[in-house]
Amino acid sequence: MSLIDVRHLSKTYARRAETVTALRDVTLKAEPGEFLCLLGVSGCGKSTLLKILAGLEPHSEGTVLVDGRHLQGPHADAAVVFQEHGLFPWMTTRRNVEFNLKARGTGARERRRVAEAMIETVGLSGFSEKYPHELSGGMRQRVGIARALTTNPKLLLMDEPFGALDAQTRSAMQGELLRLWQARRTTVLFVTHSVSEAIVLADRVVVMTPRPGRIRTIIPVDLPRPRDTTAPAFNALVRRALAELHDDLAEAAQ
Amino acid sequence: MARLLRRVPIGILPLLALLAAWELAARAGIYSAALFPSPMEVWSVFTDEGPLLLRHTLASLTRVVVGVSLAFVTAVPLGLLIGRYRTLERLLDGTVQIFRCFPAIALIPLAILFFGIGEKPAIMLIWFAAFWPLLISTIFGVKSVERTLLSVAQVARASDRLVLLDILLPNALPSIITGLRLAAGTGWLTVVTAEMMAVRSGLGYMILYAQQIFRPDEIVAGIIIIGVVGLAFDQLIRVARDRLCRWQEGLVAAP
Repeated sequence: MSLIDVRHLSKTYARRAETVTALRDVTLKAEPGEFLCLLGVSGCGKSTLLKILAGLEPHSEGTVLVDGRHLQGPHADAAVVFQEHGLFPWMTTRRNVEFNLKARGTGARERRRVAEAMIETVGLSGFSEKYPHELSGGMRQRVGIARALTTNPKLLLMDEPFGALDAQTRSAMQGELLRLWQARRTTVLFVTHSVSEAIVLADRVVVMTPRPGRIRTIIPVDLPRPRDTTAPAFNALVRRALAELHDDLAEAAQ
Repeated sequence: MARLLRRVPIGILPLLALLAAWELAARAGIYSAALFPSPMEVWSVFTDEGPLLLRHTLASLTRVVVGVSLAFVTAVPLGLLIGRYRTLERLLDGTVQIFRCFPAIALIPLAILFFGIGEKPAIMLIWFAAFWPLLISTIFGVKSVERTLLSVAQVARASDRLVLLDILLPNALPSIITGLRLAAGTGWLTVVTAEMMAVRSGLGYMILYAQQIFRPDEIVAGIIIIGVVGLAFDQLIRVARDRLCRWQEGLVAAP
């Protein structure tokens, strides 16, 4: 059974007098343990799709199944890593990481044990009692990832988590994420607008068209990890993805 | 030289200048000495009538602390709920906007009619004066929460209680403390006025009584105490803020 099973999904919302179609007829599956990247220009509805899968927004038409169940609001199977400011500034690293467990009613001692272990896993030992403003951008994202993983979600939804990082930190974080994913085999849906990031990370890259958002094509990436971003095979895939995106841009401009 | 200047607390210079001008004016004898006390005469009020001053100061202080505390425990929870629940805001916003425009001082006659002369009307008035700035700053603090943080809570399926206590309250805390500074300020102003009419103790009463018995030195001493205590209050709240809001980015002793 697929972990994500989305069929003919559409999402419309009313803005003043007009009706905006954010997503149209999206059909997509993800198998357990699969790493999918949603690639598209801004405004293509990729974040909307992620929010729908998180149960943060209702969809308008079609069916959305996660682990075989219809979505009715936020659910225990999913965890989200948000773009930038997903951390509570008044909580230390440990209390931030503990939050999802606390929301589930986990006792203080167990919370602390799981959080400390997870903080070590993401390489932040020694930063447990620091506040977010005392951490670097990469460290903050590690905290966000640690928090998302504490509940052992079947589905990890990531909304451009590395978008605000500098190139070097970004590349290091991609490696770190793959390491965590390979150890746990959580299904990951990763939203990005960076072509090379999608191809570094994904098993399959889902290329989306803008306005209304539809799936243009799905590019399987059969390269062994860690991927060599200078290899010809890698660049061939980058060119292919770019061509799909640029066609869109050309169409959108017309 | 510039570095040396930065170290000297030059903020005290205008006060020293005022003191000097006051002493000179008193010596020049423009006004009769009975009406215009010199700094030394006022100082002697502090040395000779310490117990009296202390008693009235404590009376005023107690009223403000009780009144502002009552305002704090009523306004902050209500503000959290109004900021959180849109329907409650729509229900109460108009009323809040009207009531916060009433000067507490204007309610003194009514408070005396209702409660007579004594502690009750004074504390009610301070509560009223302190309630609105606290309520409004709490609502503002709650509503300034970043949407992403609420999404995090939603995805984690956090209870309303957890959202209120672990997210909205700490998010509002810096704003609540600003509100507390305003509340303590207006509370302190209100107590002095209320004591001139509704009670028979406290600094306000002392000043008014000093006027009746022709003691300008006591009036000035009372005014000095009012200023110093008000300043001390504010400093105390600032220290509390710096401790409670350590997590705030770029918090370097804002004014």
